Amino acid sequence: MRLLAANTGSYPKIGDSPEKQKHREAYARWEKGELTDEEFENIQREVIKEVIEEQVKAGLDMVTDGQIRWIDPISHFTKNLKNCELDGLLRYFDTNFYFRQPVVRDKPVIIEPVARAEYLFAKRISPVTLKQVITGPYTLARLSINKAGVDFHTMVRWFAEVVAQEVHALSRLGRCFIQIDEPAILKHPEDLSIFEEAIHEVCTEKRRSKIYLYTYFGDASPFLEAFEKLPVNGVGFDFTYSPKLPDLIKKHGFEKEAIGLGMIDGRNTRLENSRELLPVLRKVLSGVEADILYLNPSCGLEFLPREVAFQKLKRTVEIRDFIRKKLL
Amino acid sequence: MRLKLPLLPTTAVGSFPKPPALIEARRKGIKEKIKRLEREATEKWIRLQERLGLDVLVDGEFYRGDMIAFFAEHLKGFKMGGLVRSYGNRYYRKPVIVGEVGYKGPITVKWWKFAQSLTEKPVKGIITGPYTLMDWSFNEYYPDRKQACLSLAKALRKEVENLYRAGARIIQIDEPALSARPEELPLANRALKIITQGIDAYFIVHICYGAFEYIYPQMLQLPVHNFDLEMSNSDLDLVELFRRHPFTKDLSFGVIDVHSHVIETIEQVKERIEKALGVLNPKQLWIDPDCGLKTRTEEEAIAKLEVMVRATKEIRETLT
Repeated sequence: MRLLAANTGSYPKIGDSPEKQKHREAYARWEKGELTDEEFENIQREVIKEVIEEQVKAGLDMVTDGQIRWIDPISHFTKNLKNCELDGLLRYFDTNFYFRQPVVRDKPVIIEPVARAEYLFAKRISPVTLKQVITGPYTLARLSINKAGVDFHTMVRWFAEVVAQEVHALSRLGRCFIQIDEPAILKHPEDLSIFEEAIHEVCTEKRRSKIYLYTYFGDASPFLEAFEKLPVNGVGFDFTYSPKLPDLIKKHGFEKEAIGLGMIDGRNTRLENSRELLPVLRKVLSGVEADILYLNPSCGLEFLPREVAFQKLKRTVEIRDFIRKKLL
Repeated sequence: MRLKLPLLPTTAVGSFPKPPALIEARRKGIKEKIKRLEREATEKWIRLQERLGLDVLVDGEFYRGDMIAFFAEHLKGFKMGGLVRSYGNRYYRKPVIVGEVGYKGPITVKWWKFAQSLTEKPVKGIITGPYTLMDWSFNEYYPDRKQACLSLAKALRKEVENLYRAGARIIQIDEPALSARPEELPLANRALKIITQGIDAYFIVHICYGAFEYIYPQMLQLPVHNFDLEMSNSDLDLVELFRRHPFTKDLSFGVIDVHSHVIETIEQVKERIEKALGVLNPKQLWIDPDCGLKTRTEEEAIAKLEVMVRATKEIRETLT
């Protein structure tokens, strides 16, 4: 069993210092038409390079591109779909972050996959393993407005096809690490069978890739058994919302090739310490069976200021080292 | 608390666009100039609201950076945090609770007094609510959200007492975060009780951009008289919700989309009001924009309010 330190997804696009305002300034100029799409993309690439460097500097074993191009996790994958258009703002779960809600008028048709180009660029510049994040079909469907006159099950199936195509385009490049984010399912246990069907559909396209299912912003305890049976290679949990999870894992066990331990709170600036996480990790480690354990933030880090996000990742690495010594 | 207001009273939610000179002065940090421009803008907008024919006025919140940072700066126990993105290219400074929260002294009272001294019409006292202040701050001090929220409620109660003592009889508590965690509605209820109990004012709670369907109808138990809800941005689907379970309190009905440059037509606004009247008694209904108008230009804000007041007057005539 190996314990690695990873990022969970997003990373703040800007910081507090003047030299870290690049993305914000470029975005404003691009919105006003003072920068072309290409010029804005070049600046986004510079920022992606910086945030990958920061994650590597923190000592992570697995990084992401920080989701720098994402305006939000929903519109990022739906804005270019045929038969989808963007509507007003809605709060993203219980955060103070807002996303543009898609309106689905008919079966969404993918014109060009979004994740593949992002992955190719980030992979080229990252010296460590890169993980590509994609928002899952259930969450996309759940946060969309259904104006297509079909039932919700059909909406989820439609989005499963879209996400499967994203996975297909990535997996044709070789073995990729793909994280499918499905926070919405935690609020809707009644949809579990629809959700399972969608994840099965997405996994049919994975080839040699590793698919990790991540959930957050909710208690994953009631889903433990169901997630274990899914054809994904790994599952990531948000322990900050799931106080009973360590005991449950200790008691019933949890078997997956890889497990994401979201024990570093991605929503609060208070820094965790090794000693407070030790008893929790001891419980979890006694129950899980996995080749790889990823210690990672409970969710993407864009809910924190940039400087704190970096400190959180550094702390993740420190705790990884401490736990390796103490428990492994 | 009984108020003497016309049928379908019109009001604004809180903020108006800051004049460019004030933004510039704030950026440069010229204190004297900021103060003068804030007072000038407040006075100008009181006159404007009177001219436009609004029934319940607001001070325009020209003295606030944003609704969270402003209150955090004026309470004990906070330090200012770094920049965090809220949507698109918008960022705000998220405060951090680093110690025991406490009341240092009046926060909004002198601005309320100043605004009220300029007009015969009632001016709302407006505070950011304890639940939202807790939810939109980082917490490095309290062991849990509950203790942070209730401590904030105790501190903010003093501000409400001071507003009441100064003469404010309509007090709005801004709680945009309130619908985010339905399971915490009882906590928000407890916090609002701490604030409102025993104070003979007409209380409004402003909630926006949330999934109300998860807290309705339970939210009707909150200890306030009026719910100010964003309606035009949510495609008015709440009206359907009220059809299924009657709305038992007063409602400030948002009929103006504050995030769109497009000025609504009188017909559009009338249609929205009529839709609300389909499920509510006219005596329950107040009319206002979805949220504060600070994100619009001055011209847009005025044009939007003008349409809102005219549409309301036309409907009012058909009712009396």
